[in-house]
Amino acid sequence: MAEYWGVKVEDIFNTMKERFRPEGAKDVDAVFGYDIADEGKWRLTVTNNTMLLEKTDTLAGCVSTMSADGETFVGVNTGKVDATNAFMSGKFKVEGDMGAFGKTGKLFRKFVIPKKEMTTKEYLADMFATIVPRFKAKEAEGLEASFGFDLGGPDGGKWTVFIKDKVCTVTTSIEGKPTVTLEFNDAKDYVDFILGKIDAQSILAAGKASAKGDINMMASKWPILFEKYKDPMAGAVQEQELLVLKKTISLNEKFSTGPIMGKFLKGLKDKKIFANKCPECGRLQLPPREVCAECRVRAGEMVEVGPKGEVRYMDIVYYAMPDPLTGVARETPYGSIFILFDGCKGNETLPHFIRKDQIEKIQMGWNEKKGTRVRPVWEENRIGDIWDIQYFEIDE
Amino acid sequence: MAHKKNRNVGIIGIGQTKHSSHREDVNQPELIHEAVSLALKDAKLTMKDIDCVVHGNMELFEMVHSPDLWHVLGTGAYGKDSIRITTGGTVGATLSCASDNLVASGMYDIVMAIGFEKLQEGHTTGGITNMACPLWFRKIQAGALTGSSAYDVEREFGLERANRASLMYRIIMDKHACLNPNAHRAFGLDFNQVDDLIRTSPKLVGELKLIEMCSQSDGACCVIYACEKKAKELSKTPVWIRDHITAHKEENFTIFGYDRKYPVLKTHKFAAEHLFQRNGIKDPLNYFDVFEMYDPATWWAIDWIRDFFNLQGDEHLKLIENKEIMIGGKMPINPSGGVIGSNPIGATALVRVAEAALQVRGNAGPHQIPTPVNHALASGFGGTMWTVMTMLEKELNW
Repeated sequence: MAEYWGVKVEDIFNTMKERFRPEGAKDVDAVFGYDIADEGKWRLTVTNNTMLLEKTDTLAGCVSTMSADGETFVGVNTGKVDATNAFMSGKFKVEGDMGAFGKTGKLFRKFVIPKKEMTTKEYLADMFATIVPRFKAKEAEGLEASFGFDLGGPDGGKWTVFIKDKVCTVTTSIEGKPTVTLEFNDAKDYVDFILGKIDAQSILAAGKASAKGDINMMASKWPILFEKYKDPMAGAVQEQELLVLKKTISLNEKFSTGPIMGKFLKGLKDKKIFANKCPECGRLQLPPREVCAECRVRAGEMVEVGPKGEVRYMDIVYYAMPDPLTGVARETPYGSIFILFDGCKGNETLPHFIRKDQIEKIQMGWNEKKGTRVRPVWEENRIGDIWDIQYFEIDE
Repeated sequence: MAHKKNRNVGIIGIGQTKHSSHREDVNQPELIHEAVSLALKDAKLTMKDIDCVVHGNMELFEMVHSPDLWHVLGTGAYGKDSIRITTGGTVGATLSCASDNLVASGMYDIVMAIGFEKLQEGHTTGGITNMACPLWFRKIQAGALTGSSAYDVEREFGLERANRASLMYRIIMDKHACLNPNAHRAFGLDFNQVDDLIRTSPKLVGELKLIEMCSQSDGACCVIYACEKKAKELSKTPVWIRDHITAHKEENFTIFGYDRKYPVLKTHKFAAEHLFQRNGIKDPLNYFDVFEMYDPATWWAIDWIRDFFNLQGDEHLKLIENKEIMIGGKMPINPSGGVIGSNPIGATALVRVAEAALQVRGNAGPHQIPTPVNHALASGFGGTMWTVMTMLEKELNW
């Protein structure tokens, strides 16, 4: 099993049980499939706020199945790969009911890459292994020096770092007489010192360490010659203070309708749909507006149209756009229809919504073809608002 | 007659941030300052040389009123003449038109236009829904998505050809975006993914799929305009603004009647016809060397190519199918990767002008067209089908 960022595909699945959030599974009753290339298939059953995960050979019967390669799957779950990019570019696919799969996002707590502890021995190995890559050759112009490290204790060891002709080499012994030699009684103190957990003064003062030879070479030159050691366990440390402020605003707004739109909205209260007519070109405007945009003249004559008509165009909306008036995502899919009311012609259409269970039955019309006939379903208590019509339904 | 100008105007400085969905590392003035610094550096100027700053973005997308006040330290407008413009999706193009007019009129010698957006902040859908008439339509409208263009193209050319053209266009844009270091989305898509993406990319609205829609980006763009005299003094390669045009229509979406006897005002077609006619350009497809088109979604893009160049039948689809819109083709469209690749909305239409100007200058970078670019076209789109178009020239010889 391959590892990506130190994580196996199985690690993600094996921790699902402990990451499961019953509160996120309230409205979920479905079977989901996971198909990870070269790794296997998993079937996740969620019902009654519980989950069951099984490795499987077939994903038949799943409401939706996601497929990806191992690297993408681990990357998305650990945040190492941008999920949107992976999804849009087809590296991470979902087949079947997209909306249902979207709910899996709430089912689990985020996967956290487990932090391994590094031992003193591992740290020392890493620190000296990275000396050459951290060496800044251009700072070593004309410099010839050697740095000895004599680190005691059970995990300790000896190293010499040579610098000559702008080249840096490391040996695992003390050779010759280094320009300066650093001695630590316990190698662990050296590791802590490099990691910044303890400061040099207190170690030296306590007699736990000493430096022999050209001390200045170690104190002033070393930090210039080498980039600072980065703790591989520290993760991505924020280098500066970054704050993202979260705000919610909720406002009461009011708008004047003016007499023309006022008549339209009052008409809805009386279960009537009014358009206005241009005195020059004769076109109707729906909803009515003060002037005809094309003729630039006032258009005050009101004409009652509909309330039945035919559907000329329908958008089926799958993407759960939050309604900015309420902040709540509309339930998807829904059908946004453009209705040509009886008495209207051309492009004199009005947008509204179709009854949810009738989306599939709607035919769109054009010159040669009639669209599905629809009628409004009125609210019981009407207040003079576009929502006095709940939605439209097929007029059979 | 083209626009009446008192004097010619040239673009002498261009700066753009990297467009990205992750710019939490900077606040809004800091983001803008990145683009301003780059444009000043490009023009070898300092803020002292700028006579007026024109600032613009989408109204209330970040839910900040008069953002030019907050941004003043980033824009450099402190103590200077400054104008704020906001015309929806076209705002970037309108910034360019306004700056051109301000210089051409003789009012200012050097004007800086700044377009910006930080779509991860505030509430984009809140902003875009606030565009709709609050008396009724705000309650029904849902953001900027519609599948109507897909429906139109599919009805005219059949499901398979339409979808393949749409994805072909998308992949060409991605190939361009991969060459543009500032592009937001550059996936590395290949043409063999066409069928797979048609099948697997989730639908947003109708036939409009996720992969076909533009991104939401954070980014800023800054362009510096100078009068002819200053432009020639200050720049070796000024890019001249020949003409620009704006076409609006009423705010209603009364375009869905599908009645052929009642044609809808299509502002792209209207604007292009008027612009080319008054400049004596009979064959725009041959005249222009590059087109930076505001393409919010592939379906709109493929449909609009026909409107802009006044093509007949399926000529526009053939341009795409034969890859003539790729860098190296007959009419390279969006070498930058387009709006589909990067969309910091208030900057987006200005980026079109900036990228077209870079192509004319010949130093766009890895996405530079290999053949000489003498005539460039840029478009902006917004509102309920509004259009702004800008023509750029290498030589002052029209």
